[in-house]
Amino acid sequence: MSELPYGPPVRVSPLIRFGRWSFLGAGILYGAFHQNRLSKKEAKFREVEAKEKVIRDEKLKKEKAIAAAAEIKALEEMVAPKK
Amino acid sequence: MASAVGKVPSLIGSAIAQARPKFNIFMKYARVELAPPKLSEIPQIKAGIGKLLTSAKTGAWKDQTIKQATLNALVGAEVIFWFYVGECIGKRHIVGYDV
Repeated sequence: MSELPYGPPVRVSPLIRFGRWSFLGAGILYGAFHQNRLSKKEAKFREVEAKEKVIRDEKLKKEKAIAAAAEIKALEEMVAPKK
Repeated sequence: MASAVGKVPSLIGSAIAQARPKFNIFMKYARVELAPPKLSEIPQIKAGIGKLLTSAKTGAWKDQTIKQATLNALVGAEVIFWFYVGECIGKRHIVGYDV
């Protein structure tokens, strides 16, 4: 205790120290456990989502093709009577 | 640029050399204040928990002065915050879960 700049160290009560370390440990365990649980759920959801994405993409492409064909027809109809 | 990159190890070395005495002072405080509780202190911990429970049961916690109550609230809040720090370490991400 020769030249400590903030005076002698405070004797923190063991209950507080026990609480701090045990909460820290419990938090680490809970964080790891919850992260594991959530990432498993997300992995499952991603699989389902990937399958649905294929189906959805096809549907969207078909709908776009139909809409484009309808638009072209409408444009041609607009141009045609004027001729 | 090459001279700056070449100086990095010597910079790190001088930074460590400067920080060492400060780190030693920190360790001197940490050994008393931040150390995990020893096994010989378990009866004190049990007594402390018992005091907390009896004061909660008998309503003695309402008889504190405001100053004591604020101090106890701050210390209690700090102890509880360590749980959330631990959770951040456990999920290895600071805000929210990384799925």
